[in-house]
Amino acid sequence: MSDRELLEFIERYRQHQVTSAERAAFEERLATDPAFAQRVKEFELFSSTLFAHGKQSQFREKLNHLHSEWKAENVVPVVAPVRRRTPMQQFMSRYGATMGVAATVAIVTVFSSLLGMEMWRSATQQNAARYVELRREVDALKRNQRALVKDVLSTTKPPVNPGQFTGTGFALTSDGYFVTSYHVIEGADSLMIENKLGIKYKVEEIYSDQVRDLALLRVIDTAFTGFGKLPYSFKQKETDLGERVFTLGYPREDIVYGEGTLSSRSGVYGDTASYQISVPLNPGNSGGPLLDDRGNMIGVISGKMLGVDGAAFAVKSAYLLSLLEQLPENRLPQPVRLPKVNTLAGNPRPQQLKKLQDFVYMVKVYN
Amino acid sequence: MSSKAFVTDADIIRGILDEDETALSRLYKLHFPMVLYFVQSNNGTEDDAKDIFQEAVIVFYEKIRAGQLELNCQIKTYLYSICRRLWLKRLSRSSRFSTGLIEDTEAELTDAQEDADQAEQNELKFTAMGNALAQLGEPCKTLLEDFYIRSMGMPEITEKFGYNNVDSAKNQKYKCLMRLKKLFFSDYQQP
Repeated sequence: MSDRELLEFIERYRQHQVTSAERAAFEERLATDPAFAQRVKEFELFSSTLFAHGKQSQFREKLNHLHSEWKAENVVPVVAPVRRRTPMQQFMSRYGATMGVAATVAIVTVFSSLLGMEMWRSATQQNAARYVELRREVDALKRNQRALVKDVLSTTKPPVNPGQFTGTGFALTSDGYFVTSYHVIEGADSLMIENKLGIKYKVEEIYSDQVRDLALLRVIDTAFTGFGKLPYSFKQKETDLGERVFTLGYPREDIVYGEGTLSSRSGVYGDTASYQISVPLNPGNSGGPLLDDRGNMIGVISGKMLGVDGAAFAVKSAYLLSLLEQLPENRLPQPVRLPKVNTLAGNPRPQQLKKLQDFVYMVKVYN
Repeated sequence: MSSKAFVTDADIIRGILDEDETALSRLYKLHFPMVLYFVQSNNGTEDDAKDIFQEAVIVFYEKIRAGQLELNCQIKTYLYSICRRLWLKRLSRSSRFSTGLIEDTEAELTDAQEDADQAEQNELKFTAMGNALAQLGEPCKTLLEDFYIRSMGMPEITEKFGYNNVDSAKNQKYKCLMRLKKLFFSDYQQP
């Protein structure tokens, strides 16, 4: 079938001017011959478009006419929205609500998790309440890093003023010289010493060395007759590492013994004037004597390092002795005669302590 | 009949089915401002708005005439949705606005994908045919238009164009048609 024949046939077919036999033959060929079907399809498309084109151009003319009518009716056409929104504004107007919700969720999540963590932390803190209280005490001490001064406001014995702070001190000579840490008596109005038996003496400050944290006191009480013969002597040389050391002090109302070893020959931040010792110490131990196994006085307890295990410090006795030597004679009411004989050596520890405890006093500070 | 107000959508549809010009006019004037506003808010001109609105109206009109339209929303929403799709396609083709982000001036939308595609196809065919006819030249153009569009009979055409007989007119018509067909398919790619 030529193009022309096909075209004419399709035209007739469209106008229903074909015989039923022709129609059947055509439809059968359409079904069996894909190439023929394709041709027919093309013709169909073309001629339908041609027809539609005619109708549509008329219709469009009508619409254009309507458009000009509309334009005439709206002489001032709606002024175009000149305001061109920026892409950002469009984005916001479209997704603003979503973002708001997301932000709200984020904020709620953040704050509720923070709150939750805070609650969890406080809950765990309650579980370890004892531990926290210990820490708080330690935190308070942190402010005065070396201070081991004990606040005894809560002490009983109402008629006697128990003093603001307490520390420990020990006799330097039998005739009334007495040593403690400078920070114990710092800012003191008046000072008292009291031993285990409750005997009290009034003392005065003779000299203090702020740098070495040492204070030299003297008993000025009229009732005082002398400490008695001192059982220990003062060691001039430095003590070796690993030496077993012990101390007596008043971290509470009663005398407390503590022992350990000499763990370093320098103190905080490499301070060569101090030893590091592994003796458990508490506030109130400051100013106490540090003795070695044979009963030699080797240092004065000064403080401990927080957050470090078993790191306490004591000022070396050599510095105490050099302090005494450097003191001008006229500053002293009477010359210092240090004990020469050590009667503690060779005794078992309980015996040593029994002799020693009469010479270790609690220093009470009033201000 | 023409005094009818055409207030509701149903009135307008009935009017179109009755080939009432007023209904079409009412439809056009009622909904064009909306499309104009939409196109103008999205980088378009009044002519763009006119083009796409007319495409949409043609699809709408033809569908109603063919009884194929299942309108489950307002005419306004339907037209707006088609126009929106058409405009979006045009924008992305010209890539002036390649983000696909479009600012809606109407909240309600209906899925008019198919109808918009049809409108586009329609427009493509229409332009291709228009171009082909324009390239065809006289007297072919007039001859074909007379025969196919104005539905004139072959004897009339023979007389009008001064052919010797109907057969030579038919011959001429056939040649013209073949040329038009060639021109048309060189421009229009079948989907």
